[in-house]
Amino acid sequence: MADTRNKPGSWTRDIAMMMGTYIPGFAKPPARFVTEDGRAVHGVLAEFKTPAEVYHAAEKVRDKGYKRWDLYSPFPIHGIEGAMGFKRTKLPLLVAAIGFTGAGLGLLLQYWVSAVAYPLVVQGKPYGAWEPFVPIMFELGVLPSAFAALFGMLALNGLPRFHHPLLGQKSFWRVSDDRFFICIEAEDTKFDAQEVRTLLESAGSTNVELVEDDA
Amino acid sequence: MSQISTQSSPDAAMDDHAYQAVLDRLATEPALADDNITLTSAEAAGVSRLLLGLGVVGLVIAAGGFALNFRAGFAAMQIGLFAVTAIALGALFFVLVFHITNAGWCATIRRQFENVASLLPLCMIGVAVLLVVELATGGTLLRWLGTDYEGHHLMVHKEGYLNPTFLVIRFLVYAGIWTFLAFRMRGWSTEQDQSGDRWLTRRMRFNSGWGILAFALTTAFFAFDFLMGMDFRFFSTMWGVYFFAACAFSSLAFLAIVFAWLMSKGKLQGVVTSEHLHDHGKLMFAFTVFWGYIAFSQYFLIWYSNIPEETMFYIFRRTGDWALLSKVLIAVHFLIPFFLLVSRVPKRNPRFIAAIGAFMLFAHAIDMTFIIQPMVDAGEEKVIGLSSWWAIAGGVLGFIGIFGFLLLRKMVAVPLTATKDPRLPLALNHKNYV
Repeated sequence: MADTRNKPGSWTRDIAMMMGTYIPGFAKPPARFVTEDGRAVHGVLAEFKTPAEVYHAAEKVRDKGYKRWDLYSPFPIHGIEGAMGFKRTKLPLLVAAIGFTGAGLGLLLQYWVSAVAYPLVVQGKPYGAWEPFVPIMFELGVLPSAFAALFGMLALNGLPRFHHPLLGQKSFWRVSDDRFFICIEAEDTKFDAQEVRTLLESAGSTNVELVEDDA
Repeated sequence: MSQISTQSSPDAAMDDHAYQAVLDRLATEPALADDNITLTSAEAAGVSRLLLGLGVVGLVIAAGGFALNFRAGFAAMQIGLFAVTAIALGALFFVLVFHITNAGWCATIRRQFENVASLLPLCMIGVAVLLVVELATGGTLLRWLGTDYEGHHLMVHKEGYLNPTFLVIRFLVYAGIWTFLAFRMRGWSTEQDQSGDRWLTRRMRFNSGWGILAFALTTAFFAFDFLMGMDFRFFSTMWGVYFFAACAFSSLAFLAIVFAWLMSKGKLQGVVTSEHLHDHGKLMFAFTVFWGYIAFSQYFLIWYSNIPEETMFYIFRRTGDWALLSKVLIAVHFLIPFFLLVSRVPKRNPRFIAAIGAFMLFAHAIDMTFIIQPMVDAGEEKVIGLSSWWAIAGGVLGFIGIFGFLLLRKMVAVPLTATKDPRLPLALNHKNYV
């Protein structure tokens, strides 16, 4: 029976992979590709010498339809999100949902407390007066929104993490100095080590290497 | 002239050589081609006639309000006049802010703000007429000008401030400062189009420094004198900020329509783009929230502290016709624009943003009505309330029509964007990365 939970590219597999990384003892799904000595393949890493080269290489990788890949650079490159085919983040929707939920719960809490559970006359104001609720609704809207924005951003980026397979590659260390890299990951449904290598070499990479997952 | 070296400001760090390079680049910039950045009288003629017609018809309808009683007609005129005065004041504020922050992205949109602000002196003529009528009639809406309240203990207390001579002097100070700033800001900017003198940018920034302080004080006191002062007993320290919020809100709404119209005419292609509209829309959103925050803060503190002199303003506006109008005001001035503008998509679309701008102008008219119209009935036997809504609508549309007509005359006189601003390359390449 085919195990759809483990289908490459499915979100269930993504979550299982993430849990396996973070939680000791959590069974990680088996790697899609392994080397001859049985070690999991993280992906294929290609080195470029200039921002222009890596920019055009990114366009080629994008046009081939790869989804699970990333570009590494010592500094921000203007317009790179277009060359990589980034979609807009879903984070604002998350923030809005959590913000409105917070404000709504704040309203319910205060109304229930001051008009239903324990009605108390304060300064001769009506029990259910909406005016004093507003500052607290504001706070309970803003604070969870800020948390949602920060932690949602971290979660969508797969952060925090203590190690990354690329850090084991000696050539990759120059990414903080004067080299630019593209890494296409084995988790991509279209991943094929040979095809990827050919693509990246034709895109002008000076050095293409296979990255093992050393975690 | 001594070279002042500063850190990261694009115009100040620039020497004559670098500025020459900017000018050379701008000379070959296709987006700055003449027919793209000039509006001819012929192109403006249709809309111009339409606006003039709207203005005349609107004012005639508003004048019909005088048939009800003199104060109803006068209030309809004043609501219209203050609606456009707020628009011009807000535009002046943004011109000053653009200069004082030395912002790059707004160099291409600044000219239209300057054009709108330069109508401020004409608005001041309107306010001068209003003031003369108030003085001649012994207080139509500024009731303290009359004899009704002579000897009232608060009137005695406030006499040092609330007296006709000082009121006229204050008005002359406001009008003088605003006329100077509005004319000179546009004058220097258009002079730079001709001469290509980069030091004019420094001069505009220098004058924005004291200008923005003077603007803050004059706007606040203008609002105290002509809006809050309609009821001499009432006072709110928030009032100046409340009126300022209305100014910023309405001017952005009005200018969104101006830009969308120019873009629909095929003007400013590549000069004012979705990127600029996006940031313009962000400001609209910001000042929608700002108005909500200010309006609520003012109401909340008065509601909580419950002091009769302050609460009567809101108590009166929570009875009769006004109870509904207050609720409508919260919806149209805060809630609806908030949800319309919160998303990215409508801010980047000229049609959307213009439609939202029109809605926000409607909200602005409601706001002015909410402030001014209740004063018509104060101390009167016959209650007008909102029954003269048609006169108010006429007054608002009439003044906006005349305002737009005059604005078009300013727009055809000069290029639609600054053409030699040192920050122009930044503005032409402006992009939102998020």
